[in-house]
Amino acid sequence: MSYVRINGMDPGQGITAAGVRRSFGPVEAVRDIDLSAPPGQVTALVGPNGSGKTTLFLVLATLLVPDAGVVRVAGHDPLTEPDQVRANLGWSPDVFGVYDNLTVREYIEFFATAYRLPVGDRRSRADELLDLVHLDTFRESPVHVLSRGQKQRLGLARALVHRPRVLVLDEPASGLDPRSRVDLRELLRAQAADGVAVLVSSHVLADLEEVADRVVFIEGGRTVAEHSLSALPQTSTRPWRVHATDDTALVLSLDAMGMAHSAPTPTGVEVSLGSDEEVADLIVALVRAGVRVVSVAPSGGDLEAAYLELTKERR
Amino acid sequence: MSGTAAASPAGISGLTLDGLRTVARQEFRLRIRAGHWRWLLGLWFGVVVGFAVLLRLGLAAVTPAEDDRPLGPPLFGGVMLFVLGLGLLIVPALTAQSVNGDRERGTLATLQVTRLSAAEIGLGKLAAAWGTALAFLALTLPVVLWALIEGGLPLGNVVVTLSVVGLLLGVVCALSQALSAVFARSITSALLSYLTVFALTVGTLIAFGLATALTSEAATVTYEQPAFDPQTGEVIPGGGTTTETYRTTRLRPDRTWPLLTPNPFVILADSAPRLDRHIDPRTGREVARPLDPLGELGDAVREARRPPRDNVSYGLDSGTTVRGGTGPLWPYGLIVDLLLAVGAASVTVRRLRTPIRKLARGVRIA
Ligand SMILES: Nc1ncnc2c1ncn2[C@@H]1O[C@H](COP(=O)(O)OP(=O)(O)O)[C@@H](O)[C@H]1O
Ligand SMILES: [Mg+2]
Repeated sequence: MSYVRINGMDPGQGITAAGVRRSFGPVEAVRDIDLSAPPGQVTALVGPNGSGKTTLFLVLATLLVPDAGVVRVAGHDPLTEPDQVRANLGWSPDVFGVYDNLTVREYIEFFATAYRLPVGDRRSRADELLDLVHLDTFRESPVHVLSRGQKQRLGLARALVHRPRVLVLDEPASGLDPRSRVDLRELLRAQAADGVAVLVSSHVLADLEEVADRVVFIEGGRTVAEHSLSALPQTSTRPWRVHATDDTALVLSLDAMGMAHSAPTPTGVEVSLGSDEEVADLIVALVRAGVRVVSVAPSGGDLEAAYLELTKERR
Repeated sequence: MSGTAAASPAGISGLTLDGLRTVARQEFRLRIRAGHWRWLLGLWFGVVVGFAVLLRLGLAAVTPAEDDRPLGPPLFGGVMLFVLGLGLLIVPALTAQSVNGDRERGTLATLQVTRLSAAEIGLGKLAAAWGTALAFLALTLPVVLWALIEGGLPLGNVVVTLSVVGLLLGVVCALSQALSAVFARSITSALLSYLTVFALTVGTLIAFGLATALTSEAATVTYEQPAFDPQTGEVIPGGGTTTETYRTTRLRPDRTWPLLTPNPFVILADSAPRLDRHIDPRTGREVARPLDPLGELGDAVREARRPPRDNVSYGLDSGTTVRGGTGPLWPYGLIVDLLLAVGAASVTVRRLRTPIRKLARGVRIA
């Protein structure tokens, strides 16, 4: 795995993990994970439910001792130097509770205190962060009335309170509306531009594709592949969505050609195609058969295609 | 069980006053805003004052007119007994979810990844819990003032007793908190907290009773009494004495009394000021006191420490063998309880230390 040097930067200042293993009794949550998240880049950790993402993040966040493996966060070992790691790490779990009876501002100010920010900075830092995550209108609202998505944004603000050099976010997009997802994307890009090493886990692959520089695929607690997003492996086939004025005719023609396809939806049917040549051939064949084709477009991003291909192999 | 600590440096490393204050203030703020504190404190105050008024009326009713001793000590003692009893019921409820409640609500992990150390989190929470208990105690001060005005109470002694009650409430806070750090479910720790209070109060009594019964010994005792006329039952003046020797089985509470010392009520009773002893000059016997359960209890425990004598004389003493003659034993009990509290607090801190190596079954950190 390429966790030594990426883009000429020393990932020792970001995150490196090698051979990490952790089980809970008989459950092997993490078997063998290698990954690196260099500064200035957004690294996506992608894997199905139960593949060990959260467990790995707990190890990075100085909460859990790994059974084996070497981990460095901002150049420090979470096991032996937890305080140095904490000073440099912002972590937001996928689910967390908030204290009842605190206002949004008090909540962030408390964490500013807990991260030992100077007294004079706490109020201004809280205001700044609440503006950043667009919770400024909720400043004086009690935290427990926030919606799931708002709470997620509050968690993001909390993780950023001490200006960490490394950011580890577990499913930060869950519960977010489309507008907030775009905001999150911009926020992560801005953090990376400031030189922060960002590691996010998510299962919303379309989101990650827009924001991530690198992707680490894990499955069953193992690293399956680690790529830069610009160099995703070309997949043999990928899904395309075909839509016609009359989808019944479309389905009949596809059946006549012997081409496998998904059940029709209002936006057409999905077929699996390899090269651009194959796509063009299909369009020609459909038009010849008198099907009035409206659109043929790749369905899902490159990331999704690569991910589906990888997980297919392992089935 | 919810987790054991990692190979991180031992001891209460990373304890700063600032961090302690941060946690304590936050906990206190959350406690004050949650629940109906004004009602609860008002109710407590009302109950304590009501009890004091009734006790004072009762004392006035049962005290014989010729007894001119001030009523401060029995009033103060009775109220303290009541306050400690209620406090022992309230404190576990305040503290028994301190750690596992936060874990269940999902607020502990985000706190543990901040710069706050395990010691700061654990001891800060303990300080807030104890502070809350002390707020309840502080509300009884008007009644204490009333007892002082009634007279017969040395101020220093009152301060000592109030401090003892405050410390005992703190001990229960620390024990409950440790249980909440050790057990994953708050329902388990709450139940065990009450069982711990039960063990300290009733359990020590049972242990003392059983141990005393089991360590009884055979002894030969010589009883000496003045010769008396068997017809009239009157002592024959100048008739000398008769002695009788019996073989009996006798209890030795003087050996088992340490089992009683951790009992909060025993500690309170023994440390509290009590009424002066009145010796009837004619009989040389002590005059029974009207209504001073705390004083009675204190004397009884001190008396238990006195070794039995092989020679017992009746009616020959000149009033020197009044009850409760041995020295105070509450300092021993308080030290034992404080050691328990220190141990409990260190268990809490160790349980809060991260990274965690062993997780209890079914517990997720986040
Ligand atoms: N505290 C725990 N005790 C027992 N099993 C756990 C615990 N935490 C996680 N697991 C198991 O470990 C596996 C990985 O979990 P997790 O890291 O949460 O996966 P992900 O975040 O990728 O969905 C799952 O099978 C999960 O059930
Ligand atoms: Mg997860």
